[in-house]
Amino acid sequence: MKAFIHAVTFCSVITLNTGPALSQEDRLQVVASFSIIGDLAAQVGGDLIDLKVLVGPNGDTHVYEPKPSDARALAQAEVVLTNGLQFEGFLDRLVEASGTTASVTVLSDGARIVQDPAGGHYHFVDGEAIFHAEPNDPHPWHSVANAKIYVENIAKAFCAADADDCAHYQANATAYQNELTALDLEVSEAISAIPEKDRVVVVAHNAFRYFEDAYGLRFLAPVGVSTESEASAADVAGLIREMRDQKASAVFAENISDSRLVEQIASEAGHPLGGVLYSDALSGPDGPAATYVEMMRTNVRTITTAIAAHH
Amino acid sequence: MKKLVLGTSILAMSASLGVSSALAEEDGVELTAWRLFVADHAAPVVHVIDALDGDELAEFDISEPAMILSSGSSGEAVYAVQPTGNVVNVITSGISFHDHGDHADIDVEDPALSEAAFTGEYPVHFVEHDGHFAVFFDQEGVARVFEEHEAIEGHVETREVASGAPHHGVAVPLGQYDLISAPNPDDPGALPIGIKTLDQSGVQVGDLAACPDLHGEATSGDTLVFACATGLLVVKGGGMSAPNIEHLPYSDSLPDGKSTTVIGGRGLQYFLGNFGADKVVLIDPSETDAFRLVELPTRRVHFVVDPIRARYAYIFTEDGELRQLDVISGELTNSIQLTDPYSMDGSWSDPRPRIAVAGDNIVVSDPLAGKLHLVNAEDFTESGEIEVEGVPFNIVAIGGTGISHEGEDHDHEHGDEAHDHDHEDHDHEDDHEHDHEDDHDHDD
Repeated sequence: MKAFIHAVTFCSVITLNTGPALSQEDRLQVVASFSIIGDLAAQVGGDLIDLKVLVGPNGDTHVYEPKPSDARALAQAEVVLTNGLQFEGFLDRLVEASGTTASVTVLSDGARIVQDPAGGHYHFVDGEAIFHAEPNDPHPWHSVANAKIYVENIAKAFCAADADDCAHYQANATAYQNELTALDLEVSEAISAIPEKDRVVVVAHNAFRYFEDAYGLRFLAPVGVSTESEASAADVAGLIREMRDQKASAVFAENISDSRLVEQIASEAGHPLGGVLYSDALSGPDGPAATYVEMMRTNVRTITTAIAAHH
Repeated sequence: MKKLVLGTSILAMSASLGVSSALAEEDGVELTAWRLFVADHAAPVVHVIDALDGDELAEFDISEPAMILSSGSSGEAVYAVQPTGNVVNVITSGISFHDHGDHADIDVEDPALSEAAFTGEYPVHFVEHDGHFAVFFDQEGVARVFEEHEAIEGHVETREVASGAPHHGVAVPLGQYDLISAPNPDDPGALPIGIKTLDQSGVQVGDLAACPDLHGEATSGDTLVFACATGLLVVKGGGMSAPNIEHLPYSDSLPDGKSTTVIGGRGLQYFLGNFGADKVVLIDPSETDAFRLVELPTRRVHFVVDPIRARYAYIFTEDGELRQLDVISGELTNSIQLTDPYSMDGSWSDPRPRIAVAGDNIVVSDPLAGKLHLVNAEDFTESGEIEVEGVPFNIVAIGGTGISHEGEDHDHEHGDEAHDHDHEDHDHEDDHEHDHEDDHDHDD
């Protein structure tokens, strides 16, 4: 960024969220790995940043294959924002391929992290079980409290790369975090209003453990935390048994996954499909989850509506 | 066979075989193993060479010279396709990996010629998709589909997919569906006219996807392409539902020409195709301008992508130089003189160099000199040579680094992955290629 731009915009620091209008090349060059943190970055950076999101709306980051154009974007980036927790399996090789010198910020640093309940897996060597730790659950943003930590980390990253505009970023972050505080309360109240006995639902892949941890809604899922793994028939049969045992109230599809598996599960369990939850990606700009805040509100609305319809 | 020279990078790689480089991982040690499977151009034999020290580990007699040598995503088997022998032989590589998320375990055993073999009239195109393999037998117009673990175990049940008539075709198994080339109804000797989607009972689903002069197929990530005279067919999806197939026309910025050989990027999702004798084209179907043309100083002999260093692909040209292509910038960034000139004049089937990537080294066969050249992939200098008897031609490299539990009995709950291998005709589960310069050329 050019210094003269900052001098003339000083007066707007306190009062404007978006900062001054800059030409594209004068903006802080930011790459966000996927759409949800892309929106968080946009909230903090406003017009001061030029943002490229690698995995766009409704995209599945778990299985994303980066393109040469992504490598070019990384090579030009001043800040690279990632989730971490092995969510972006493609990232290390993309960073290496790009030769980027940008700082790579892991936004989940400092967030409250939930471990995979299994904690890893065993394999057996010469009759002896050897434990290999599995990664932590990589979907912290489904707790709004964690999203606030992401925002804090984004502001720090932007300040480190563009100290002259730090006050802008901090002001934007503070305002947005206030909005998120209200959202957190809103989600909490909406889930609390669901009778406790009805707070078990089913989703295609278990991306909502943090939502469960933060708000008390239990999610059952036929597959693990990554969409790369496929559910076996035994997994599905076991899930349907568990649904019946726990009197699950609703079954949801996900915007990033093929819905046929959960449609099958819903059908076998005697439920209508309760709608689509936005798990690992936002909707397109014209969809109901174009921003993080809209995503959380849409998910809550979908959940509460489906559970209410079940009774 | 005898080692002529082994440079420092090879010696460094060899050191990693020992326990001295052990990475603490429970009771295992880090182990690196790379093997080169080298088919002779004239003799019906496949040599297996330890890429780390140049020693020959085994030699397998087959029916006819393998015009195509290929392997699948697991790297557990190498397939010797012998069109004139009417057979595809299976050689188990002896190297297998078992993924444990944060690391992969490696098992190393002797390579072996499997009892499994696929017979039929004139096998050529050999394709893997998600562990399912399809061999197309041109003179039958039929593909036989099988699963690798059965081939390794030596007992194979194949499923036949019929195209309707003998032709130079290709089939790709895609979950509950098969894609298969449609022969030219007016001239079965001509190249196919498109791709049909069949369900598992052989019934066509949807319309023929037109692809005049279809030749060349590759996968990168979740995208499969077929090369046509008019552009590419870009295939996405498949599995439980019929795949989506769209035609991507060559851009107006390209000169007249077409791709007839395409390979899929590894680590980065892109395709690299030939485009005329002295050009290649980088293809990213997701971009508005999907094609980036790269002009070469001379005519192209062979090209591969680097499955480890995603930024690079390599092209051998008839002047005897190996060239490094930066697929991000689209520029040739390095070159090294390796062999005497190998003119592209003459028959397409003459013995000419082939490339494979084995860990830190790029391996280039030099058929007329009877050796393999090793080029350090980092500094692009020649790091060694391995002498091979006969006329070493097609190469498959298999290997990687994993945690070895030193041959103890393993029971793994997870699938395999997290390793690297590279081979002549295709790379990895989602990145297979068919380099038809191995068997014929429709380019010129």
